[in-house]
Amino acid sequence: MEQPQRTFLYDQHVALGARMVDFAGWLLPVQYEGILAEHKHCRAEAVIFDTCHMGQFLITGPDAAAKLAGALTQDTVKLPVGRGKYGFILNDAGGVIDDTIIMRLADDEFLLVVNATTAAGDLKALQARLGGETQITVQASWGKLDIQGPRSFDVLQGLVETDLSQMRYFGCCRTRAGGVDCILSRTGYTGELGYEIFMPGQKLAELTRTILANPLVKPAGLGSRDSLRLEMGYPLYGHELSDEINPVEAGLGFFFDIERNFHGADALRKFTAAVTPTAQVANLCHHRQLVALLSDQRRRFNTGDAILCDGQVVGEVTSGVFSPSLERVVGMGYVQPGKSAAGQELAVQTARAELPVVVSETPMYPDGTCRMKLHEM
Amino acid sequence: MVPKDLLYTSEHEWVKVENSVATVGITNHAQNALGDIVFVDLPDVDKEFAKGDEAIALESAKAAASIYAPVTGKITEVNNDLDDDPALVNNDCYAGGWMFKISINDEADLAGLMDAGTYEDFLKSQD
Repeated sequence: MEQPQRTFLYDQHVALGARMVDFAGWLLPVQYEGILAEHKHCRAEAVIFDTCHMGQFLITGPDAAAKLAGALTQDTVKLPVGRGKYGFILNDAGGVIDDTIIMRLADDEFLLVVNATTAAGDLKALQARLGGETQITVQASWGKLDIQGPRSFDVLQGLVETDLSQMRYFGCCRTRAGGVDCILSRTGYTGELGYEIFMPGQKLAELTRTILANPLVKPAGLGSRDSLRLEMGYPLYGHELSDEINPVEAGLGFFFDIERNFHGADALRKFTAAVTPTAQVANLCHHRQLVALLSDQRRRFNTGDAILCDGQVVGEVTSGVFSPSLERVVGMGYVQPGKSAAGQELAVQTARAELPVVVSETPMYPDGTCRMKLHEM
Repeated sequence: MVPKDLLYTSEHEWVKVENSVATVGITNHAQNALGDIVFVDLPDVDKEFAKGDEAIALESAKAAASIYAPVTGKITEVNNDLDDDPALVNNDCYAGGWMFKISINDEADLAGLMDAGTYEDFLKSQD
């Protein structure tokens, strides 16, 4: 095993007493004060997450928009400058190589944000698909900080040289933060109003100190990041998504136009044609649907636990966590078609008990502020 | 500092012995290592355990743990306050966060438990 890498913020985590773990080859904090407190502070005020481990690819060139539109599910030709979009890099079979956000910074300049574990494979796929005219620069000397929570606007506005009240959900721009050139987006993984700041690593460490000096802000770790995303029903690569799962099964087909031509689209069209209601019956074993699972208990179920309906196995849990906001366990999992409608009663077989769960609409936590309209405030 | 009047297991449980009944909880070291406790699966009263059996499944926001019966005996009482407020284990581990009481069939079962000084040395040896 290789030694895990340290992010630009490692020294601060240690100084703040964080518990560190190896996550995707990086030493990252699981928690500082405690997972529940950090989770609740994100829902009520503002927290920061070190997301320096994530990959940043700057993609430039006159053909970048057209090339990316063929390489990703996102239609980068139609994406306006100053906007970001969530989507996927698919393999030939339509499986998810990675889930990503692409941001258009200029007509011929994009930032692609990718997961840490998948970054090397993403780069390889993109190099093969984009061709020589389009440059891919891995911004390895840059870090990323996520500030999330309803008060994140108040924390950040005084530090950045752009009017945040004019920035909509999934807006992005080049600006300055703490006097340093950066890329800023109104995005996140918690369901709350929030921003992601991309800048050179050493400068990001300085900005992090400034932000943490604000009494509204607490540092938060991977523990609360997971419970926050699961309350929203957001997928995590490696749990809900993999190269053997396509985004239609994952219920994420609404993020793109399946009739458009992009890498993997043919396979997705064949897949959806094959699972018309009649064919579903014959294809039962091969088709699955991602659902959100809501328990009425505090007792946890775990990744890999079987999902039952009337005693028969109909699926498998992909994530489970105690929800600090709802005070019960929530999770996600894949189930057979016919068992995926909201309100469907199921059970999860854990090592020690059979726990009743119900299929839920997402988000399971309904009061997130991520789409808050700031210009009307 | 750990309370002087308790006995301790190598699994970081504390045991208070009164009138042939053992009250059991987890130590400050254990609650701190587990983080926020979110669920305590309490045993039924009158259930019998042999020394070393898993008596409780404990879940924190990031981990699961087992609490073992420190002696052979029968459950006489459980702390039902933990159903609604499992955080008592974090906030008051040596008092309000107690978990169960078990009758002591044979006082000899207590022989392997550590006193406070020995447990403190044990904690240091774990660092």
